[in-house]
Amino acid sequence: MSARTSGPGRKTLASVERLSFRYPDSARAAVRDVTLEVGEGEVVLLAGPSGCGKSTLLRCINGLIPHMYHGEYQGRVVVGGLEVAKTPMSTLSENVGFLFQNPENQIFMFSVERDVAFGLQNLSVPREEMRTRVDEAMRLLGVSNLATRAPHELSDGQKQRTALAGVVAMRPRLVILDEPTSLLDPKTALEVAELIGRLNRELGITFIIVEHRLELLVPLAHRLVVMEGGSKVLDGAPEEVLSDPRVESYGVNVPPISRLYTSLARDGIRLPRNPSTPEELAQEINDL
Amino acid sequence: MYWLSGGFVFKRVVSPFNRLDPRVRLLIAAEFFLLSLMAQTIWQIVLLVGAILAISAVARSLRRIGRAVAFSGVFALFIFGVNFVLGLGLLHAILYAARFLAIISSTSVFFVTTSPDELEQIMKWMGFPRDVVFAFVTAVRFIPVVMLDASQIMDAQKSRGLEFEKGSLLKRAKNLVPILVPLVVNSVVRSGELAEAMESRAYGSTPRPTSLYAMRATWYDWAACVLSLALATAAGLYIYHHFPFG
Repeated sequence: MSARTSGPGRKTLASVERLSFRYPDSARAAVRDVTLEVGEGEVVLLAGPSGCGKSTLLRCINGLIPHMYHGEYQGRVVVGGLEVAKTPMSTLSENVGFLFQNPENQIFMFSVERDVAFGLQNLSVPREEMRTRVDEAMRLLGVSNLATRAPHELSDGQKQRTALAGVVAMRPRLVILDEPTSLLDPKTALEVAELIGRLNRELGITFIIVEHRLELLVPLAHRLVVMEGGSKVLDGAPEEVLSDPRVESYGVNVPPISRLYTSLARDGIRLPRNPSTPEELAQEINDL
Repeated sequence: MYWLSGGFVFKRVVSPFNRLDPRVRLLIAAEFFLLSLMAQTIWQIVLLVGAILAISAVARSLRRIGRAVAFSGVFALFIFGVNFVLGLGLLHAILYAARFLAIISSTSVFFVTTSPDELEQIMKWMGFPRDVVFAFVTAVRFIPVVMLDASQIMDAQKSRGLEFEKGSLLKRAKNLVPILVPLVVNSVVRSGELAEAMESRAYGSTPRPTSLYAMRATWYDWAACVLSLALATAAGLYIYHHFPFG
């Protein structure tokens, strides 16, 4: 996994403007006055304790809120120039892909290739083009050899890659991942993280990712956003946010390398920046 | 029980029968089904079952069909018993039980050789509404998932001391409640997540979705179709002329 390069001057792909949302059966807002801009090609990590509004915010960005879930909606979300609240889900689905936590619940068909084609079928993509896009997505996600397998014949990692292939085949500019590695073992989780990095680098796909195992995805991320109680409380480069003394109080699971960086700083050993991989840490210590 | 129910579960096999267009396979199974209903003597049933088994052998699914027949054996015995007790005579009781087994094996031939994807294509071809087809496909797709859920819930409840196999019939039925409640709750949660995933992948955005595959009948399918129709018609006419109904 290579370290990311931050991208100043990126064109805005998604913007959330003073968004608040309250579910009808809830006394308080799940998302409160959140403003967020996501640049083209960026990987944005969203962190925070359970119930802080991360998943609600993601659903506001892909349009499930307000199209599927109704409630008190204030503010504006724009993705790729389309105002989410005023654009039908079918149009949004070509711009925003969504990978849910449990891949089992988003594989509909009986074979991998037919499931990858599911979204394209719904968009009435002609058969020849569909074939090309399905093959391309399966190749990118490394599931071509599983094309005719049934979902119950796949491992959890293979299911996650199949579900992601189904999203990628629709060629969205922005892909939202809601805890994509939470049900995976460490090795498979690392493989999925590497895939995300490759899709970002090779296809320029923008990602917004909710993830608790930050050590997996911090090396890929351009930004880390922390939420608490429905509000955005920290937003910046991952190394800056993870060095913030308040970050742990917001329930963020700080990666061990960032802990070590903070601990070294406390003891007077100042590294030039908060490293995201053991290799970066070794390099920085070497350069001292 | 799980082993026996495998007689109706699809398995991917390469064979001359599986190569046929699924619509032709459905036609052949339907022909056997109708002939089983028409058959009037035990010998006719024996011939029919023989033909079904021959096709199962070509489809390399003889064992699976055998499992379907074994699975249905209890019901066949029940049919035999009821008819015998009602005084229809030994021969008629055997005939009805054998007819039941012939019907089961003819439907099993279709299901073990036809993937759920092919079933979906047939249903679409028959003009079923898309939502009905999708509901059917999803229900079949999630059978293994719900079975796994049920097994995990049973294990969890057993580890907490719940004993399913003890007590009277009523007590055993009551013991199923701690399994059924979480199973239904899980399924409701799952259906919510499915709906979200469907929306996110543009389900229902067009009234005429395209398909990755299309069913195309070749000369091979047409030949099998004509041959099977000819044989089934001849067999039907023979039965009708020698044993007119009513």
